[in-house]
Amino acid sequence: MINATAPLLDVRDLTVTINREGRLVTALDKVSFFVNPGEVLGIVGESGAGKSITGAAIIDLLVPPLKRTGGTITLAGERLDQLSPKAMRGVRGGRIGFVFQDPMTSLNPVITIGQQLCDTIQAHLKLGGNQTKKRAHDWLDRVGLPNPDVQFKRYPHQLSGGMRQRVVIALALCADPVLVIADEPTTALDVSVQAHILELLRDLHRESNVSMMLITHDLGVIAKMADRVAVLYAGRVAEIGPVGELFNAPRHPYTRGLIRATPMPSATGEMRLDQIPGAMPGLGAVPPGCAFNPRCFRAEGDCRATIPPLYRQESSAFSCFHPLERVPA
Amino acid sequence: MLNYAASRIVQTIIVLLVISFIAFLLVANIGDPLAALLSADATVNERLELIAKLGLDQPLWTRFLHFIGNMLQGDFGFSYRTQDPVANLIAERLPATVELAFVSLLITIVVGVPAGIYCGVNPNSLFGRFIMLISTAGITLPNFVVGILLIAVFSVQLGLLPSFGRGTVVDLGFWKTGLLTVSGWRAILLPAATLSTFQVAFIIRMLRTQLMEVGQSEHIRFARARGLSEARIWYVYAIKNTLLPVITMLGLQLGNIIAFSVVTENVFAWPGLGSLFLQSIQGADIPVIAIYLIFVGLVFMVINLIVELLYPLIDARVLRRQS
Repeated sequence: MINATAPLLDVRDLTVTINREGRLVTALDKVSFFVNPGEVLGIVGESGAGKSITGAAIIDLLVPPLKRTGGTITLAGERLDQLSPKAMRGVRGGRIGFVFQDPMTSLNPVITIGQQLCDTIQAHLKLGGNQTKKRAHDWLDRVGLPNPDVQFKRYPHQLSGGMRQRVVIALALCADPVLVIADEPTTALDVSVQAHILELLRDLHRESNVSMMLITHDLGVIAKMADRVAVLYAGRVAEIGPVGELFNAPRHPYTRGLIRATPMPSATGEMRLDQIPGAMPGLGAVPPGCAFNPRCFRAEGDCRATIPPLYRQESSAFSCFHPLERVPA
Repeated sequence: MLNYAASRIVQTIIVLLVISFIAFLLVANIGDPLAALLSADATVNERLELIAKLGLDQPLWTRFLHFIGNMLQGDFGFSYRTQDPVANLIAERLPATVELAFVSLLITIVVGVPAGIYCGVNPNSLFGRFIMLISTAGITLPNFVVGILLIAVFSVQLGLLPSFGRGTVVDLGFWKTGLLTVSGWRAILLPAATLSTFQVAFIIRMLRTQLMEVGQSEHIRFARARGLSEARIWYVYAIKNTLLPVITMLGLQLGNIIAFSVVTENVFAWPGLGSLFLQSIQGADIPVIAIYLIFVGLVFMVINLIVELLYPLIDARVLRRQS
């Protein structure tokens, strides 16, 4: 190993299948990646690429008929995929916090915010009643809610969307997890609020040095937040690498297509958008060989015949037989 | 909260006034009180005197106000059939029906709520499916069949429980209760069980559906993602989201039993309001029917009012919808 530090989270060959009337369809096909301590790993891809499934599979919260059928998940040396349901409950919220996407639906509407926080804290930390309450108040303060004492007694419907997402973040972090999985944490919010929430996540990450898996379809969010990025396509990893490298010199044609399809003004202020022809194959409709081959301008016979393995090169990895040259694109 | 309570109370009063007016029209337009109250050989003077006394020569609105005024003073008029004050007739029958209703509500809550929660939490378990199968029978069997079945088994075959009457009652002065004696409790079990059959089945099915739906929601998934215990998730986080429709149903059912347990009361010869209502219809006893109508309206409205005043305690969002 060149890496001096062992990864905090190590996911290998994670496979998730869905049982459709007796037919097994692969939703996640041998996905491998790792997250280092204190690092932010971005997971990016189109809708349906398997980003959210990856997050849910790690904490064993897949919604049936989705089912984890293979691979290993290791958190700080402990195999999460072999834990009992009871031990897994301690991991959820306790060691891995999960930020849900839509703050309008992810908070219980009939229980006060303070109660939801206290319940979560008490599920993991052995604290007395007063200390639990104090911790809940502190967290409301830390996520930037004005008047924590007032908010403590309020119900979710009395808060705006942005404030609710702050509560969701407090709920995910209040028991001091070592890893936070944020599944599209800003997608359901107004653009103006998005920036604030990202800022909050970045501040909390810096303060606590918690590792983060940031799932998003927004490359802008990745550029702002992530240290490294994993690009998912049709349930497989297309490419993983440090943010700068991946943006400046993508190796996988899909990564480049994704970057070019993102509106970004050039130096002259012009907007240039290139779209990738075709659409991502749906579940169960993945072509043989490389999943991207029907849309790829570099596809050749071997791309259609076999699935390219993940080639590792220094800090990055990609799965492509005919990668783009490593020159600034 | 005060606004909410006030608006509910005002609504209740308005509806009660409308019901009273309809009931009043019934009394004012159907039947001939003079024929019912006067003897066959009454003189014209006696007749005119009674017309003046009853206010029958007054315009409709005056009479309605008079009718309301009398009711507020506890004067509900006289039965055509027995010549007794309607208030006495109802007061005599009310305790039996109210006790029956509350015991059956108790059975519903004690049996139906836990069973419903079990079926909602474990919808695919063998026992859960068994409960659902039984509850289908509870929904479909009519009350009188259940009552006769219970009598056949517990009274006739096993000889454990009486098949009719209220047992020994204790007079508290304002209320004759059967709930202070063993024979009273023995007598109330079968009719109460009969009445609660449908409700138990209904509550089970409703709780199950509600819980299964809430169990799929994002906030329950998020609660799981935070590592809360399954017990806390189901019994606090999920249940609290299902309470609104459940207490609404329980309230309506309670009203239903108080007002319309005619069939069950007949099967068990229970001396309650249901049998009074039946006798009044058979005897075309309009004043009793009219007051009974108002009374039923009052029962439903008061129960509904209590239920609605409970809403904000369970789900604060109802206050926002209000404004």
